[in-house]
Amino acid sequence: MTITAGALPETGPFGGAGLPQTPLDDEKLPFRVRMRRFARPQIVVGAVVVLVWVGVIALAGVLAPHDPFASSGGRLLPPSAEHLFGTDSLGRDVFSRVLHGARLSLPIAVLAIVLSVAVGSVVGAVAGFFGGWVDAVLMRTADITMAFPSILLAMAVAAALGPGLTNAFLAIVAVWWPIYARLVRGQILSIKEREHVLAARAIGMSRTAILRKHVLPHSLTPVSVNATMDLGSIIILVASLSFLGLGALPPSPEWGAMITDGAANFYQWWIAAGPGIAMITVVLAVNFLGDGLRDVFDVKNRGR
Amino acid sequence: MSTARPKARHRRRTAVRAGVVVLAATALAACSSTGPATTDRTGIIIGRAMDVNSLDISRSLCDTCQIYNSAVYETVVRATPDGELEPLLAESWEANEDSTQFTFTLDPDAVFADGSPVEAKDVAWSWLRVQNLQGLPSYFMQGITGVEATDDRTVVVTSAAPNSAFLNITSASYMGVVNSDLAAENGATADADAASTDTAEQWFLENSAGSGQYVLDSYSEGSEIVLSANDSYWGEEPNFSSVTIKEVTDASAQLQQLQQGDIDLAMQISFDALDQIEGDSSLTTDVVPSYNFLYLALSPGVAGGEALQDVRVRDAIRMGIDYDSVIDATLAGNGERQSTGIPNGFEGSDDLPIPDFDPEGAKALLAEAGYPDGLTLDATYPTFSAYGVSSNTEMQSIQQSLAQIGVTLNLAPVDFSTWGEQIDSTGYPVTAIYFAPDHPDTVQYFQYFSLIDGSVWAGRARMPVNPEENSLVAAALAQSGDERTATYTELGQLMYDDAIILPIVNPKYILASSAELEGNNYDITRNLDLTRLTFAD
Repeated sequence: MTITAGALPETGPFGGAGLPQTPLDDEKLPFRVRMRRFARPQIVVGAVVVLVWVGVIALAGVLAPHDPFASSGGRLLPPSAEHLFGTDSLGRDVFSRVLHGARLSLPIAVLAIVLSVAVGSVVGAVAGFFGGWVDAVLMRTADITMAFPSILLAMAVAAALGPGLTNAFLAIVAVWWPIYARLVRGQILSIKEREHVLAARAIGMSRTAILRKHVLPHSLTPVSVNATMDLGSIIILVASLSFLGLGALPPSPEWGAMITDGAANFYQWWIAAGPGIAMITVVLAVNFLGDGLRDVFDVKNRGR
Repeated sequence: MSTARPKARHRRRTAVRAGVVVLAATALAACSSTGPATTDRTGIIIGRAMDVNSLDISRSLCDTCQIYNSAVYETVVRATPDGELEPLLAESWEANEDSTQFTFTLDPDAVFADGSPVEAKDVAWSWLRVQNLQGLPSYFMQGITGVEATDDRTVVVTSAAPNSAFLNITSASYMGVVNSDLAAENGATADADAASTDTAEQWFLENSAGSGQYVLDSYSEGSEIVLSANDSYWGEEPNFSSVTIKEVTDASAQLQQLQQGDIDLAMQISFDALDQIEGDSSLTTDVVPSYNFLYLALSPGVAGGEALQDVRVRDAIRMGIDYDSVIDATLAGNGERQSTGIPNGFEGSDDLPIPDFDPEGAKALLAEAGYPDGLTLDATYPTFSAYGVSSNTEMQSIQQSLAQIGVTLNLAPVDFSTWGEQIDSTGYPVTAIYFAPDHPDTVQYFQYFSLIDGSVWAGRARMPVNPEENSLVAAALAQSGDERTATYTELGQLMYDDAIILPIVNPKYILASSAELEGNNYDITRNLDLTRLTFAD
């Protein structure tokens, strides 16, 4: 066993000597080489499916064969060439509704993740960097929030705020930020003892500047990987809230709400199957993507 | 560090395994308690979406309450399926010439579940409590000025004005007789200040105090009501050792549980699912006409309902609803249009105008009222599945058709308890709900829906009382025969013109049960009459 190989057995993607010690230090490598590490089947499949959905979001109006809110022929028609996913109890084309629903379900999930990350990172960074009672107060708050099952707490918050997608979105942020607060705090605690931070301190940089310039950027990789992995859960959470009547309001084609419609017409399976299939593909895709990215960056410090 | 993950994974796997075990155990327990019929079935399980607002008979008003109240309590008279009255607690009754005084003579054999006799004082106390609690069923006691027990077996009721409907009213399940001594011991009172001093509502969630065939065994909100046979019942023996009303919220789940034998009777199956079971020999189904209806209610006096103060706007909304489409979407066509808050077939309903879909006329009316570009209204309604109709489907269909006349409905489904609290406090500009008859007399619809003193919807809609309707109701109650029918029709026309209550559909009703059951029914006062229901063999 050589020293180099032994010193860097797992951290780098190539596991080889002289390669970067942290995932972010490889910026000197050519782009093509850097990209090669992402060429894993999981990532490729995930990325392609996600891209397809992004395309759907952009072009839903063009791609959808029918008006998602108006009756487009008979009601409760089974899937056919005319209606790929059939029609629902009001005669609306389920396929068109699924496409339009992507415009609600997916951006809301992404926004919820982004906002959770933002809130959580700030809280975690402040807690980790300043320590003491600030840390204690913030982290106990996070612990208390995380002590409740996320779906239950989200339901409670959404119920208190009243139905509507905006409120469902806020409810999700309210239950999801602690995950990132804890993750970022852990990162900060380890990063703040590194030499470059000590050096910055020695030259008299202010604490906020150190936090902003030298500490936070280094904790972003695990956060972004984690966020990708959580996206699937959030998509399901949004749909769950809508399914329970706490999210999207009728006649919104939000996927969870569509599944509720389907539940009322149990024997017309296609009404719920359409949004169900859509949800499966997109959640699987982001999970593949998240798993793949985690393997690439080998982030072991998952916050949960 | 590298060992952290596998450990966490292991823990998660253990948790999943534990979850599976719990689920399996629950499933097993569920099977053993409610599984398919054993050879000797004596208990019945009824599946329905419950809408219980209270189990205190004098505060309750809901379809499920009708079943519960008539199972554990008894009225002085009962209404037959034909709307005739027959003895129950009272062996005889009479009204004076001008219907201002009613005398009931109680059956001397009648006893409460605790063995104590049903006395005239119990009847007087129960009815006064309905009146003084000022709860939802208090409208049955409108205009009653005195209820007196002249001896142990005689009750005399006096009314300030003639009230020819009162005998019919006493057949309503909410007018059941409560064991006054028992209830009073537990905080109930019938005094004039009962509305603020009565503390028994909670007690009634765990106890019943009636003379009916069943007694309350347990109630768990959102799950089930369990009744057990009243061992000391004074009349004919009950047909079941226990009656469980199980909360099964949606129509398809009811159907599925009926097919699996988890429930013996399903009360709210949808027409879309009906053809799935028509060939199933283990089930019995029948479609019968009903006196139920689903309606849209407009409340001009509520914040957000200002536009509705113009009756032309309310008329336009009525004309903007594509009734046939809504009836198709909700009931696969199995329903009739209805004029106003009087169901088709009730006295006085025959000659009333039936609303028509007229989008052009509606748009013209809206323009005339100052809304050429349409308007936006918030419609908040409870999520329910009633008579096979899902409120979400109904409201989305109405929303679709109103969009054609430029009226945007913002739909907001809420759960039943929220709706129940809000409708009488802040109110909703537009809402949707349903109604099943409480007794065989048309007057209930005026007392509940028209703009007269004490009417539930006049209050909810924040509408001023219409003196003409007030005096017509008083007049009708002093009349009989064709004369009264004509007055009822006139009142119906006024209610139609008010355009506060807009019936969407008078649905047909699906009777669905296991083939082992006989006598499934639709009952005017009881909703489901348990005494007519038995296991075959």
